[in-house]
Amino acid sequence: MDEKKLRIGIVGLGKMGLAHTSILNVLPNVEVAALCDKSDLIRRFFKKVLRNVPVLDDAEKFSGYGLDAVYVTTPIPHHYGVTRTIYQKEIARNVFVEKTLAASHKEAQELCSLAKKSVGISMVGYLRRFYVTFSKAKSLLDEGKIGDVSSFKAYAFSSDFVSTQVESRESGDRGGVLADLGSYAMDLALWFFGDVSVKSARVESIMPNDAEVLRFELCSNQGIAGVCEVSWCMKDYRMPEIGFTVEGPKGIVVVTDDWVELRPGGGASSRWYRQDLNDNVPFWLGLPEYYREDEYFVSCLRGGCVSEPCFESASKIDKMIEDVKSKLGKVG
Amino acid sequence: MKEKLLLVGDNPFHGISHLSQERSKARISGSENPDYAADLVCLALDNGANGFMFSVSETTLAILKRIREKGEISRLGLYAIVPYAYEYVRLATQTGGLVGLAKRFSRQLVASRNLGAIASGVKGVLGMNPEALLRTYLSYEISRIKSAAGKDVRIESVLLHEVITDMALALNLDWLFRAYSKYLLKCGVTPGFNTCNFPWLTTKFREWSLDVEQVFIATPFNRIGFQMSPSREECEKALACLKAPTVIAISVLAAGYLKLPEAVDYIAGLSNIKGVAVGLSREEHARQTFRLIKEKLN
Repeated sequence: MDEKKLRIGIVGLGKMGLAHTSILNVLPNVEVAALCDKSDLIRRFFKKVLRNVPVLDDAEKFSGYGLDAVYVTTPIPHHYGVTRTIYQKEIARNVFVEKTLAASHKEAQELCSLAKKSVGISMVGYLRRFYVTFSKAKSLLDEGKIGDVSSFKAYAFSSDFVSTQVESRESGDRGGVLADLGSYAMDLALWFFGDVSVKSARVESIMPNDAEVLRFELCSNQGIAGVCEVSWCMKDYRMPEIGFTVEGPKGIVVVTDDWVELRPGGGASSRWYRQDLNDNVPFWLGLPEYYREDEYFVSCLRGGCVSEPCFESASKIDKMIEDVKSKLGKVG
Repeated sequence: MKEKLLLVGDNPFHGISHLSQERSKARISGSENPDYAADLVCLALDNGANGFMFSVSETTLAILKRIREKGEISRLGLYAIVPYAYEYVRLATQTGGLVGLAKRFSRQLVASRNLGAIASGVKGVLGMNPEALLRTYLSYEISRIKSAAGKDVRIESVLLHEVITDMALALNLDWLFRAYSKYLLKCGVTPGFNTCNFPWLTTKFREWSLDVEQVFIATPFNRIGFQMSPSREECEKALACLKAPTVIAISVLAAGYLKLPEAVDYIAGLSNIKGVAVGLSREEHARQTFRLIKEKLN
């Protein structure tokens, strides 16, 4: 039997919006049915470039396009307003939002309620779950290769703002360093260890370049203690990188974007690079994870199954971000 | 038999390693120095290399300038990749997205005093004409290369970066491939496309009646199928179907995962390979790598 073609709309034509638009366009039986961006310049450009797809100025205008799902890839401060409109105007029951879900936990909770009422599929774009290295690490932990986890250390570093002023409007659009980078580490902590809460937070300087680093302590419901460091001012991180060192009674798992290593107590270590972990996808755009993520969301739409991280799971990250800020004395 | 293209790749000069960030950091501590990098390129030329494949960036332009100053630039065929996506993504991040990036680029264009490009750019913006904007951009990048390497430099090919090529493939932007090729051919430069979806590209080119044999295609080929989408087998089949060798194999070492002899043995067994590009970060690499590749491939 022929599969129904899924009609998808995308709000926000920045780099993430373009990446999703491209991947969705090559997925079998998926149609990019409408696009939206508030910038007149961007709309005019894409109307010329993508000649067969309507490019609108307001997500409300998606009504009447019969969309099965909408991707929200605007700057973080607009996630709440756009997503609320999609649910309230009944534009689509299924929504994918780029991370983070919202700019505050309160907004995230409201979106969770709306998603629940819609009885659709919701998902937030925490891409690291689709890296082969983090998937492998999750398998090693679930298989008990290091026994019951006792502690972990995590970092989320980039050099994006090494030589520029961080306190710009643009960094605000990205939600600050916690939302932009730290949220990936928080999501992986939730995925690996279950619910975690923030115990303390402070700002430190790390040598050699005196980079400002946010350091916060976490604890899982099972009593696993963790420390996380986040900075986008670290030197020599050509690309942003997330890493974890996880300890258990039987050994250690170390994982980064590029490799995962199992160090059993007393035994020889094993390291797997992306090259060892079947990293290929049917269509490669920038990183293979983009394809895996969209393919997964679409397969959840077709199967009617819960996609993870759903809004409910992702809202816990918005809560953690707020808790870190509050412990630093910076609310909002 | 025509000699294969044996190109020095520039990833190590940018501190790029697709194996790990640790390796990237190690590379940042040496081979990004333009004087050292220029010496490595010249040493590779002495040992069999005949060209340089590079992303157009301040770093590589400085390397070209040094090679020119050493009087070696005429020995080199240039294979430029545009845009240097990493730098533009970072600028977009810092300037607040695509609109901020466009404003920054406009300022750079005006500062370049490239009157033809400025005129074409103004026309492109006023009429919101993507083809005119593309021509403006290409003219700007070519002028940057010539300004660093000299007017008589041999620009053999300008290749569209994989992120743009693959996005254009996904979005079925056949006009972009046509406009890009047409403009470069008019400039006397062979159009090129860098892609991680080689079979997809050849299929689309045939569907759009574009001549895949008239362009260069830089795409990963390696023994373990790393970054070869959808699979090594499909890429090999697509390669065998070409009527002429137009493929420049990249990632032949699978980002440093493979040893050179096994990597070269695999490439030597493929038909329709026009050449290879391999990055270098040390003098012994510059001496050994191209000697071995030349011996096996020619």
